[in-house]
Amino acid sequence: MLRRRATAISVLTVLTAVLATGCSAPGSDSESSGDESGPIKIALVDAQSGQLSSLGAWELKGARLAIDEWNAQGGINGRQIELGVFDDQGDPTVGTNLARKIDSEGYIAMIGTAESAVTIAMAPILKQAEIPNITSGQSPGLVAVNSEFLFLNGPTSTTYDETLAKHIVDQQGIKSIAMISNNGGYGKGEHDAFLKALTSRGVTPVADQVVTTDQKDFSAVLTGIRQKNPKVIFLGAEEVESGLIVKQARDLGITATFAGAAPQGTPVFLDTAGAKNAEGTIVSSPYLSNDINDAAKKFAAAYQAKFNEEAELHGAKAYDGTQILLTALKSSNVAGGKELAEAIRATKYQGLLGDFAFDKTGVGIFVTSIGTIQNGKLVAAAS
Amino acid sequence: MQVFLQTIVGGVSLGAVYALVALGFSLVYRTMGLVNFAHGNVVTVGAYLASTFYLSTRLPFALAMVVAIALTGVIGLVIERVLRPLENRDFDLMLIGTIGFGIVLDALIIMIWGATGRAVPSPVPSAPIELLGLRIRTYDLVVLAIAAVATVLLVLFLSRTKRGAAMQAVAMDHEAATAVGIHVGRSNAIAFMIGAGLAALAGGLVGPLLYVSPALGGALGIKGFAAAILGGFGSIPGAIVGGLAIGILDSFMAGHFQGYGELFTFLIFTVIIMVRPTGIFGERTVNRA
Repeated sequence: MLRRRATAISVLTVLTAVLATGCSAPGSDSESSGDESGPIKIALVDAQSGQLSSLGAWELKGARLAIDEWNAQGGINGRQIELGVFDDQGDPTVGTNLARKIDSEGYIAMIGTAESAVTIAMAPILKQAEIPNITSGQSPGLVAVNSEFLFLNGPTSTTYDETLAKHIVDQQGIKSIAMISNNGGYGKGEHDAFLKALTSRGVTPVADQVVTTDQKDFSAVLTGIRQKNPKVIFLGAEEVESGLIVKQARDLGITATFAGAAPQGTPVFLDTAGAKNAEGTIVSSPYLSNDINDAAKKFAAAYQAKFNEEAELHGAKAYDGTQILLTALKSSNVAGGKELAEAIRATKYQGLLGDFAFDKTGVGIFVTSIGTIQNGKLVAAAS
Repeated sequence: MQVFLQTIVGGVSLGAVYALVALGFSLVYRTMGLVNFAHGNVVTVGAYLASTFYLSTRLPFALAMVVAIALTGVIGLVIERVLRPLENRDFDLMLIGTIGFGIVLDALIIMIWGATGRAVPSPVPSAPIELLGLRIRTYDLVVLAIAAVATVLLVLFLSRTKRGAAMQAVAMDHEAATAVGIHVGRSNAIAFMIGAGLAALAGGLVGPLLYVSPALGGALGIKGFAAAILGGFGSIPGAIVGGLAIGILDSFMAGHFQGYGELFTFLIFTVIIMVRPTGIFGERTVNRA
């Protein structure tokens, strides 16, 4: 019995190892820019399966919309743009394998991922391969990677949370704040950024709780917070987990207002929490709604026509990022590597999120706005 | 004290779900000596089926659950039928076979329902019950009651019916069981069917508590498996105790060690298993692997 079990386990281990490495090609040397004819190959790496797949789905739609618009107008220099879609499952290990794969398959640039931890894991390989990458992540850790090939299509957590703290503490005068964040790449970034914003205002959170990324039961954490009776609870976790926290908090009788950044403004968060439970949630976001200006209206209409669903922040971010990449490809005459990275950095672009102007850290936008959830919809807050 | 008790309440409701998952693992293991690695994915299928009938076809929740359990049970039968030629020939291949089925089911789920998940509203919308400063969700009580009924029915089936007794006999000694005229294949098929049905029950019940996505079964499967091992793999009471223990343990560790909660849950689990390798209710009769 023991021997058989041991064999079974070793077979399992081997299988897992094979599965995990299966995607990486041996000898991933390649020429990034390559040939001058045929379609321009751009890779989109995002979670298309797993708990973060809704992010991946939105990103893909935003990127697809931008690329189809360019292709309809004849592409770049007469060449069509081809989007290769890769599934990182929200897993950094899968991500690093995909980084080698897109390098060996001659992709000129990469869009994604929406998960900071995955992007951070991929960054050194992409830097070495000189493949520019426009990510939707927002963790300050992305800036710390210090890669000249890594760009962000939105603000970092520092901007989101500074704006949020300014609204809650400075404008509303609320000082009784509790924090719940997860220990993943995104949650850690949010935790540090919001705590820093609070500390600089002389506010100490009444509770600072950390949860794991796949935790399902928050009763211990939430009961502890309930006893502190905070006015506002800050959420530093992704859509589904934040939604579960809010749902369980309301079941425990917590009436405090919730606050957070991008994930708390999404339909997934609303559905998971339940619209009634999420009512009043304060959201810091660079893209509050589809009718803030004409560009957003046009984008939302095109998005609706193409995918038959309402556009939201992540689609808008990916759309902006892809537009910037394509503009840079055009201005650099479809260069690859360093030249393309420089062209992206030089691109000034008026996007859905605002006016992009990249600094040397790869961040192009430094403002967000405050919205609140009213009657199940995210609307701009009266300031 | 309030935090302590509320933490137990929170742990118990998920613990009941882990227990149901553990029951499915244990039932198949005690009958066939096989760990069904597809079990977690079967939970996901059950969760999707139940939520589809509940949300899309607007069946009452109870009816949606029954349909989902029946359909998922059929999936269990299919898995057993495909693996049957390997029974008693190559055990390792059977294990790999269940892993394969897990991957297939995972892919099918994404093909049918998409990679993004769905939130299931609670079928019992009434406000939580307040008791001595504790708040207990009414739906949690429903989950506990259903889990208890399912366990009692299973125990009655195994101990009081002829078919159940035959399954016990196969579990103890399948050659002797064959000699006295028990159809081993049929017995295995029933084990797989009931196991899958329990998985669907767990998945359907957990839907309104959590978020139904393709990743749902993975997390529940690992905790359920740990629960089965902790209680004593193959033992029915062990699965129940193990499930509740893992649920409560997890809840407490998350409260105390925050981001490292999961780590401590499994550390304690490991220590218990080192001290008592057969688990709490370890049975020695199952010895076919």
